[in-house]
Amino acid sequence: MDIKLKNIKYLTGTKVIAVILAWLCFMSAAASGIFLIYNQDVMHNSSYYTTNSFNSEYSRLVHNAIELQIKLRNEPGIIVSSASQSTVSDNAERYQVIKNRLEGTVNFSYYIKNTATGEVISNVNAADRVALLKKQPSYLYLKQGVSGNNNLWYQDDIAKMLSGTNYEVHTAVVEPLKPGDALYEEFTNFSRVKAGIPYMIPALIASIILGLASFAYLVWAAGRREQSGEVNLLSVDRIYTDVHTLLVFLAAVLSIAIVTEVSNGGTIIMFVGAAIIFGIDLVIGLTYILSMVRQFKKKQLLRNSLTYKLYSAAKEYVVLAFRGKLFKAWTLLVLLGYGAINGVLFAIFLSTWRYNGAFEFLFSGLLLLGFNIAAVYFAAKSLRSLAQIMEAAKELSSGNLDYNLDTKEMSAAFAGFAEDLQGMQSGLRKAVAEAVKGERMKTELITNVSHDLKTPLTSIINYVDLLKKEELKNENAKEYVMVLEEKSARLKQLIEDLIEASKASSGNLSVTAEKVDMHQLVMQAYGEYEEKIEKAGLDIRTNTVEKDVFVLADGKYLWRIIENLLSNALKYSMPNSRVYISVEKNEKYGVLTIKNISAFPLEISPEQLTERFVRGDASRTAEGSGLGLSIAQGLTNLQGGRFKIDIDGDLFKATVEIPLWVEI
Amino acid sequence: MDKLNVLVCDDDKAIADALEIYLKYENYGVIKATNGIQALKALAEQEIHLILMDIMMPEMDGLSATIKIREEKNIPIIMLSAKSEDTDKITGLNFGADDYVTKPFNPLELMARVKSQMRRYTSLGSIAVKNNILKTGGLELDTEAKELRVDGEIVKLTATEYGIILFLMKNIGHVFSIAQIYEHVWDEPSYSVENTVSVHIRRIREKIEINPKDPKYLKVVWGIGYKIEKY
Repeated sequence: MDIKLKNIKYLTGTKVIAVILAWLCFMSAAASGIFLIYNQDVMHNSSYYTTNSFNSEYSRLVHNAIELQIKLRNEPGIIVSSASQSTVSDNAERYQVIKNRLEGTVNFSYYIKNTATGEVISNVNAADRVALLKKQPSYLYLKQGVSGNNNLWYQDDIAKMLSGTNYEVHTAVVEPLKPGDALYEEFTNFSRVKAGIPYMIPALIASIILGLASFAYLVWAAGRREQSGEVNLLSVDRIYTDVHTLLVFLAAVLSIAIVTEVSNGGTIIMFVGAAIIFGIDLVIGLTYILSMVRQFKKKQLLRNSLTYKLYSAAKEYVVLAFRGKLFKAWTLLVLLGYGAINGVLFAIFLSTWRYNGAFEFLFSGLLLLGFNIAAVYFAAKSLRSLAQIMEAAKELSSGNLDYNLDTKEMSAAFAGFAEDLQGMQSGLRKAVAEAVKGERMKTELITNVSHDLKTPLTSIINYVDLLKKEELKNENAKEYVMVLEEKSARLKQLIEDLIEASKASSGNLSVTAEKVDMHQLVMQAYGEYEEKIEKAGLDIRTNTVEKDVFVLADGKYLWRIIENLLSNALKYSMPNSRVYISVEKNEKYGVLTIKNISAFPLEISPEQLTERFVRGDASRTAEGSGLGLSIAQGLTNLQGGRFKIDIDGDLFKATVEIPLWVEI
Repeated sequence: MDKLNVLVCDDDKAIADALEIYLKYENYGVIKATNGIQALKALAEQEIHLILMDIMMPEMDGLSATIKIREEKNIPIIMLSAKSEDTDKITGLNFGADDYVTKPFNPLELMARVKSQMRRYTSLGSIAVKNNILKTGGLELDTEAKELRVDGEIVKLTATEYGIILFLMKNIGHVFSIAQIYEHVWDEPSYSVENTVSVHIRRIREKIEINPKDPKYLKVVWGIGYKIEKY
């Protein structure tokens, strides 16, 4: 249960409900608040007769009655005027307006009495009119020197009109009010609002409290999924914070403008429009605040601003430009300077065209032209330097470590780059030299060790041979001597192969290359191996379609290659199978291929086979040193050729490519 | 004739002893030395007919000793060395050695070389050269008797083998391709039967050479042809 409750706090549904609740509360708070503010007059007065709206209407009517019945009626010559024509017509017009208004009010009653003449003017039809008026809560009594109560408006004006007269004025709104005029409408409105206010205030307070609570919850829960989890962002948070702020600000300004425009009208549709706008603004504002809260929690409020992004990007470029090695700061300054100078010169050129003589015009034109030609010259020089560097880099990558990059004429913009490249080149050269030296030392070591091995081996071979010549009575002893003889011969072969292999692979052999007929070589090889081939029961098929395959090679080494491949075929071929030897040529190479069927399954990769001491048969019981293919490969490479082995099931194929001999 | 004496000069006692045994089998007298100085001393004191000289020895090496010996004597010197580089062989031969054998060697081959050198030194040198005899080193072809001798011993050849040897001996030092040899010996144009030539050549080599894999007279020029070396 606990866990469930905790989870509910972070559920999206809960949050959505909170958002809706907050929105509703703020809407209702706003509505009730506006209602209360709008009806402040009603709220502050317990009686209708003390409200401002009543006072303003009542005071106007009092003023109107006094103006009509005392001032205008007694105005001398209101019909036959003495003053200006316009004043007369003004007064007449005013008289009519006020008269109409007074006649239109049902609830306003007055009783005016001239104490000097006893003349009474009233709109009240009752027995004791003054007593009736005096009973009313809105009753006023005015005469020269008596100014009613403090709520009465226009008191100065009224006092002015009453001064010097003998009139006493009784006014009141007689209760109960009858329908038909503004006073009645305002009274009914007052009664209605007054009845609503007791509900409105608690509603306002409740809305505010609930809204704030929802809002507080939302702020607290914003970005959280689990109690201690990471802050999760919504898609709206991807908007840059400063851009978001600006948009919200714009929306607010726009809303205020619209509402201001709308509120002048005051119709119900306008009011609904304002409410809709406010509702939308509320959503925008809530979204904005919660987004800010989430990003604040994630500590990216500043980082996720466009300003910050622009700032850091600019910083990066500046750092790249001013600290980076690619372009030095002054390169950029030169570019800026070029643009500025060009602009100034062009401005001068244009102004001389407009205002000066032909000489100045020509001179400034030449200046502009010369400046740009110089700029193009320096740019071309830089580009040539770059081209040189690129050329050098290409040579380096293709292995020409001795390429000489001339830095004397190098443009200053690329001088550093060129020097770096040279540094790289010398580093590479050093590494290659070290590698060659290492390989040479290895070969020397192998050769020396082999020499040391040979001397004791000589004795072994000699004494085994002598032992063989002794009259050995024991049959076992004879057998043992045979084994010794065989193995010592094998050891001898191994040592010789080892020396040759290390020399061949390190290139530590001198090659005397000459024109060699590959076809002839294959014939000779066949002659040398004829006997062994027959003994092995193999059928050698030589396919020499092209007879004139002349290659540039050292015949001795080429023979060693063929010898190794042939003896390989003899050793490992399936008995009574065929061995195919072919000599062909392609565009650059003379190609010799030897194909045979292996007696053993070849469960080994071609690459491994050419490694030293690797043999097709894992048991190593067959004769051979395991160096034959390695030597063949080394010697092929030594002569600028290519050596390749293909294995397809039991088919073993060796391809030797030796550069063709070219007639000079 | 007195016993022929061989001076064995090697600092490795085991090798020297073995050589002594082999040489005594062949009825040679053996004198042993362990360095160049001893060798020179022995040479001054006794009559020596052939020297087996190791190169790497203490005090005085084989090369220096050979130079010294060559200042006054022309007795055969066979060098024995573990150094098997071509350059080592060339150096040894240029310094005055008559043959160069690398360790570890086949004792029978070495004995054959010793006998060959001994024959040339003791008996062949004085034979008068006849017109009908083609000669290079220890190889003699008598065109009248149609006989080939190697260091004085007759070697039996088939008609084709004789034809090839005759053609090559007439042009000592000249390299001929398989096709050329075929055309001259068989007297018909070659037509992809060249395998036979190389097979014959190998067989001849096996008959006349001490070590057919390292021939002295009938040499293979790989990818070009064959020749008889001129000595």
